[in-house]
Amino acid sequence: MTDKSTISSKKRSKPWIFYGSTIFFVIAISFYGYYQSAFPETRCEYGMPHLESPDSASDCYDCHIKSTPKIAQDWYESKHGVMLVKCFVCHGQPDGKGSVPYAVDPDVNATCRKCHDPSIKMMEDKYGLEPKCNDCHPFHNNSLHHEAYVKTKSKKTID
Amino acid sequence: MNVSRRDFLRTTAAASAFIAMGVPFSWAAQDTTDKWVKGVCRFCGTGCGVMVGVKDGKVVQVKGDPNNHNEGFLCLKGALMVPIIYAKDRVTQPLIRKNGKLTPASWDEALNFTAEKFKQAIKTDGPGSVAYYGSGQALTEETYLVSKIWKAGLKSNNVEGNPRLCMASAVGGYVTTFGKDEPCGSYDDIDAATCFFIIGSNTSECHPILFKRIAKRKQSDPNVKIIVVDPRKTNTARIADLHVSFKPGTDLAILNAMAYHIIDEELDNPRFHSKYVTFMDNEKNKLTFDDYCKFLQDYTPEKAEEISGVPAATIRKMATWFAESSATMSLWCMGLNQRIRGVWANNLTSNLHLLTGQIGKPGATPFSLTGQPNACGGVRDTGGLSHLLPAGRLIANKAHRNEMETLWGIPQDSIHPKPGLHTVALFDAMGEGKVKAIVMLCTNPAHSLPNVNKHRKALAREDTFVCLIEAFADAETMKFADVVLPPAFWCEREGVYGCSERRYALISKAIEPPGECRESIHILIDLAKRIGVDPKLVDFKNSEDIWNEWRKVSQPTPYNFFGITRDRLRKSSGIKWPCPTEDHPGTNIRYVRGKDPNIPADHPDKYFFYGKPDGRAVIWFRPYKGAAEEPDVQYPFVLTTGRVIDHWHTGTMTMKVPELKKSFPSAYVEVNNDDAKRLGINNGDQIKLVTRRDEMDLPARVSDVCRPGLIFVPFHYADKLINKLTLDAFDPGSKQPEYKICAVKIQKV
Repeated sequence: MTDKSTISSKKRSKPWIFYGSTIFFVIAISFYGYYQSAFPETRCEYGMPHLESPDSASDCYDCHIKSTPKIAQDWYESKHGVMLVKCFVCHGQPDGKGSVPYAVDPDVNATCRKCHDPSIKMMEDKYGLEPKCNDCHPFHNNSLHHEAYVKTKSKKTID
Repeated sequence: MNVSRRDFLRTTAAASAFIAMGVPFSWAAQDTTDKWVKGVCRFCGTGCGVMVGVKDGKVVQVKGDPNNHNEGFLCLKGALMVPIIYAKDRVTQPLIRKNGKLTPASWDEALNFTAEKFKQAIKTDGPGSVAYYGSGQALTEETYLVSKIWKAGLKSNNVEGNPRLCMASAVGGYVTTFGKDEPCGSYDDIDAATCFFIIGSNTSECHPILFKRIAKRKQSDPNVKIIVVDPRKTNTARIADLHVSFKPGTDLAILNAMAYHIIDEELDNPRFHSKYVTFMDNEKNKLTFDDYCKFLQDYTPEKAEEISGVPAATIRKMATWFAESSATMSLWCMGLNQRIRGVWANNLTSNLHLLTGQIGKPGATPFSLTGQPNACGGVRDTGGLSHLLPAGRLIANKAHRNEMETLWGIPQDSIHPKPGLHTVALFDAMGEGKVKAIVMLCTNPAHSLPNVNKHRKALAREDTFVCLIEAFADAETMKFADVVLPPAFWCEREGVYGCSERRYALISKAIEPPGECRESIHILIDLAKRIGVDPKLVDFKNSEDIWNEWRKVSQPTPYNFFGITRDRLRKSSGIKWPCPTEDHPGTNIRYVRGKDPNIPADHPDKYFFYGKPDGRAVIWFRPYKGAAEEPDVQYPFVLTTGRVIDHWHTGTMTMKVPELKKSFPSAYVEVNNDDAKRLGINNGDQIKLVTRRDEMDLPARVSDVCRPGLIFVPFHYADKLINKLTLDAFDPGSKQPEYKICAVKIQKV
């Protein structure tokens, strides 16, 4: 680490913009390549549905079980999944035109409080912290039945 | 920090997508509300408490009420209610149809025009030619007021509403079995039950917060058994220990077979049923337990297997679980109610509880779920149906009529002694030109009636005058309205909702209504006066006045909630009746000494079914009866309709919420995998559905949710009115139509 920082500080004058943008493009291209190759047969019928045809964004789970299988399956097995508290309740809709702010990491006040206000208040009183629920309670992993119940298989099987 | 390669890439992608779309990062956290106002959710019969966050006179946020039964939780519909209030197509001024077009008018014009039409109809065709068609979504005060205006003021008993389509069989079931309507238990029983018998209810999608409570119960004790009996394998079945699929319409046989097995295995409770139960056949002959055993010989599990397709062993297992659990709670909804023998299905479910004594203990109760937020408190209790008077009184009963005449201060024997027309008969009569003028409040019959083509023709008749009090311009019924009056919506006025568990809770006024919208009670009072109803009958300044009169009307009856004052409702998050005095905490369990205030403390027996003359509940001998329209060679499939969690009823509200609309933007038909394979149907293919009434093309969703031979279509979509295909055959007892079953043929387009 020390070596690298020394190097970069030496060469900080003009060319850093060049290096910065090169790195950005490399990352962008490699991400594109990775995304294309990582899930070759699991792309949704609509491609990137929310960006291309916003009206087809019907069932988030249907596509995300293919594009982000781990997250989708975590949700499906979670309390929220069993109760059908669907993606958009917390994340809004991808075009940002919904009634819930579109966010990968949902805002506690705009979403969590709708149902969990009593618990959030309790945590605030107890620890005096600004609530960041997700830091300690990863929503997508909070299963309903824990050991009490055999985990449900996905509606769609993941290989 | 540990970031995996994929996580990193995912975050990068999301961030670039964010930037690319120009999503503002300034989504302000909406936690700076001026005030939180207490209310009740606008949607289903669960009746969750909500807190409405108001800022600068506008609703900005909704959250669950932690003090109500839902303990702060809301389902996805409840959590996303705000956009509905500010929908662009709210009706904000009165409209009159001129030259075929609804044009803005003044309140005076619209009300005078309506009043004129009513006066004319009464003058030429008598009071029987005017009607009201309301809703389990209207406030308790509104329906009570209408019932009084029509039955006491206009002398017309044609007061109906969509609860006839939804709850009437449950009313019939409770009244015939226990003598009084409404469940004997409450939601608290969910926390104590050790076995759930869920039949004909997709609790998960239709009553999500109750489903949450059931799942929580299961989570707290893995030994809790959940049985889900439904021809569809819905999300409710996900938490079930046993999902029982059966041939639609054969549940009566299954329920009788369960009773057979319970007796055969001596799992019944003779101490209970010998003391507290009367055995009765369809002709109301009092019979004995031995007669009952003889009756059940036709329903051995093996015979029921032949009828229903459920293996006899499964029926035995269900019955054993039901009877052996320490506390069994059965929950049902439209699957039992919307049937030509809905009352019988209700009776047979209660039979199991009476046979085993699974009643009146915490967790042990037969519990009917309601579809609408105020069908119980608002319509069933206030007598908002054509055969009812307030608080369980009946039109057909002279003593009840006379009592109400005294309470309302009108001459004795002035209420018409004949019940009015029930919903299907009402719209049939309209089609024959016998109903000339109707007021509709808070409901959308041109979308929701069964066999709706027929009834749309009735509504479209030139000589039928339709006055619609409706908040949303996209309601189908608007197309048939001659006058439209704009009401204040949900939290724009104050009033009481009563949910499935006999709980009355107050919706407080949070904001001012838009435009010229007025509170429905003031619209109705104004209209009544203009028609010429005695002003003394409608001498109410606000909904609190009406509530106070309604409390007094309930006082002499077992519904007694005189103790639920407006002040208590403001302070609390709902109180369950019976509640006779102001210091009474409300009732969780009815018909049990020490728990139900209607039973004196020194009553000799623990249980007392005071709704029946002999104080005993009834085990009915109800034979198996199939559906009105069974599938045949020509129409080999069964069509059933229902809800999805994202939408509610005719969609006039949920379609205003962008997230909900997009979640299920259009109608579809659910087809079983095997059927699809056989017919060469793929996901997304257009399928033609043909019934004896109409036909419709819908895209297919192939899955294992429906059993083979069954297809399902949600009924929320105005562009695909599946009710054009459904059947309006109805239960001869409750007059509730059989939405759930009709014969259909399907083919790929």
